[in-house]
Amino acid sequence: MPDMSAIVNPQQRQFNPYAENGGTILAIAGADFTVIAGDTRQSEGYSIQTRYAPKVFRLTDRAVLAVNGFAADGNMFVKKVKQRLEWYRHAHAKDMPLRAIARLIQTMLYAQRFFPYYVYNILGGIEEDGTGAVYSFDPVGSYERETCRAAGAAQSLVQPFLDNQIYFKNQTAAQGSPHPAHLPLPDVLSIVIDSFTSATERHIEVGDGLEMYIVLARGRTLPDAVAGLRPQELPSAGGEKVFVLKRDLKKD
Amino acid sequence: MSAFHSTKPGFDFSNANRNAFLEGKGVKMPKATSTGTTIVGCLFKDGIVLGADTRATAGEIVADKNCEKIHYISESIRCCGAGTAADTEFITALISSNIELHALSTGRKPRVVTAMTMLKQRLFQHQGHIGAALVLGGVDATGAHLFTVAPHGSTDKLPYVTMGSGSLAAMAVFESGWRPNLERAEALQLVVAAISAGIFNDLGSGSNVDACVITATETEMLRNYVMPNVRVEKERKYGFRRGTTAWTREKVRDLIVSEEIRPIAVIAGGEEMDTS
Amino acid sequence: MFLTRSEYDRGVNTFSPEGRLFQVEYAIEAIKLGSTTVGIRTPHGVVLGVEKRVQSPLLEASSIEKIMEIDTHLGCAMSGLTADARTIVDHARVTAQNHAFTYDERIKVESVTQAVCDLALRFGESVHDEDAMMSRPFGVALLIAGTDELGPQLYHTDPSGTFVRYDAKAIGSGSEAAQSELQDKWHSQMSLTEAQVLVLRVLKQVMEEKLDQHNVQLAQVTTDKGFHILNERELKEVIDTM
Repeated sequence: MPDMSAIVNPQQRQFNPYAENGGTILAIAGADFTVIAGDTRQSEGYSIQTRYAPKVFRLTDRAVLAVNGFAADGNMFVKKVKQRLEWYRHAHAKDMPLRAIARLIQTMLYAQRFFPYYVYNILGGIEEDGTGAVYSFDPVGSYERETCRAAGAAQSLVQPFLDNQIYFKNQTAAQGSPHPAHLPLPDVLSIVIDSFTSATERHIEVGDGLEMYIVLARGRTLPDAVAGLRPQELPSAGGEKVFVLKRDLKKD
Repeated sequence: MSAFHSTKPGFDFSNANRNAFLEGKGVKMPKATSTGTTIVGCLFKDGIVLGADTRATAGEIVADKNCEKIHYISESIRCCGAGTAADTEFITALISSNIELHALSTGRKPRVVTAMTMLKQRLFQHQGHIGAALVLGGVDATGAHLFTVAPHGSTDKLPYVTMGSGSLAAMAVFESGWRPNLERAEALQLVVAAISAGIFNDLGSGSNVDACVITATETEMLRNYVMPNVRVEKERKYGFRRGTTAWTREKVRDLIVSEEIRPIAVIAGGEEMDTS
Repeated sequence: MFLTRSEYDRGVNTFSPEGRLFQVEYAIEAIKLGSTTVGIRTPHGVVLGVEKRVQSPLLEASSIEKIMEIDTHLGCAMSGLTADARTIVDHARVTAQNHAFTYDERIKVESVTQAVCDLALRFGESVHDEDAMMSRPFGVALLIAGTDELGPQLYHTDPSGTFVRYDAKAIGSGSEAAQSELQDKWHSQMSLTEAQVLVLRVLKQVMEEKLDQHNVQLAQVTTDKGFHILNERELKEVIDTM
């Protein structure tokens, strides 16, 4: 007699193509600079896969992309964005402007509307008009230009902090001295570092290392307070400058 | 044909089907609590060394950066707890009480097996619903003993044990480093290495190393024996200027209650009380 | 198989022993039969002008469409088989819209010109599962005018898929005379009005009929206002200032 149990009691099994690899990213735009940062821990469940997996990538002389979520999708996505930027350079004989990259990322994400890249993107850099800019995306391409944004595992810890320290939410300004629209670079950097050391303290998936990319607008130089931290300058064609600043984070 | 007499090979999924049915009807299934902890214990020449990390988590958030996971059972018996924090704290406190009463009524020093038996019976009674995974160790009249107690009540008696989410990382250290008749310092060093392996390689474990050395003569609780994860100083000061918080309404209330005391008039012709 | 000399002009993708593609060359010849079309670049914008051959008094002159918009910052004027230009302009418009959709910016003039020229060479026999292609080269040349971050630009494309940038260019039947006139009169600091007048003057020289607002069409692409075809009133104003 044939085995009927499989018919009587059907068992459904599913393969989950996604994983969540922890970590956190953030970006803050200044008047003429942008800082894009991410920790370097990559984890799955309670295990650390690696203590150094970059989540922040330089795209052009004035654009840096931070990718967080499912690491495999993130790496593939960055690879494809870079490929599109290369094609654009060949087709149009110029680097893609920041806002064009933002739109390109939207179209690339939405193209996968029904099998999305499981990633949260934050794009930072310098706009055509020389201003610092941050664009944040959801996994299927909804995007917005902002002054600052945190994403990833510790978003719920970091974003409220940035809202308070960057947008001055819930802070009434003193009489006659309104809150500034943009903070200077040294202040922004210290807020970024404090965001990550704090997230490391209270979120188990954040830690190991911190990579901060600084993009400076044309004609700008690093303030002494930041130059003293000895950031590494990445080669660029002149005009905008890109620096990387690395920090250790706790490893527990 | 009843399932009992079934000769079909392979797994029997009838319970899985029943559970799925019940769950579909809205019955809450017991949730397996992940034990974000590393706890260990090992035997050495003169007794037992217990160890634990100090991180307590609520999901992926660190709830307590320096909690105590080595609980008191009796002077020479201690118990490390992993799993649901409330369960480990309650069950060890309860057994500690009962052990004390037992010692009083028998007039003997408590034995590790007694604590172990009380723990496993309680846990078994509750069919795993008390989410406590324990490392129990101590020295009594019969010598040094080390046990693990799993949430369903099963126990193991071994010379070196680990429990919690960091148990594999810690066990790797024991498997490569433990040998019989270790000196006290060697055993302590090994326990620190095992807990450290959990702290740095398991996300559920972190912060500091607590240790406890139990010998026939004394018990040494080494709270925060190693602190390899001190919080770094913040780059900025986060004080707020007075007046930062907005307000909608202001009401000032005088909290000083003033009263006037008027002495009662002396009755005319009456004699004053002699107060001398 | 041996091909006689005269047979080299049959296949559209067969080189002659001298290294020529006859069909492409004949297509270029076809442009010389077309009406004269002129384009002039100035620092302020580009002016395009075409002659409309009104062959019959019954013909509705306004229905002759030889200048077309590609995007708000791009336009083109044509000479030759104008029907072929529809395919090209369609392609150019799709390319421009696609670029705006994907990159949230205006496509560069050179890029849209390149896209048009990519299309120009897609003739010949299609390969196995590829979609059927065009059977012959386009019989039309275009003057593509536009503005982008590099300023106002004027490009010329022909059926061979070659494109070249010009300060001033004339194509079509009267192009030889027109081009030498442009060479004489063009200067780098022309105003837009000067350019409009020069376009009309050049057209007037090579036209058989008397030039009026019905038998010419003028368009311009400026940095601030983009592509615009002059209406009859605006056209008449320019004609009157000639």
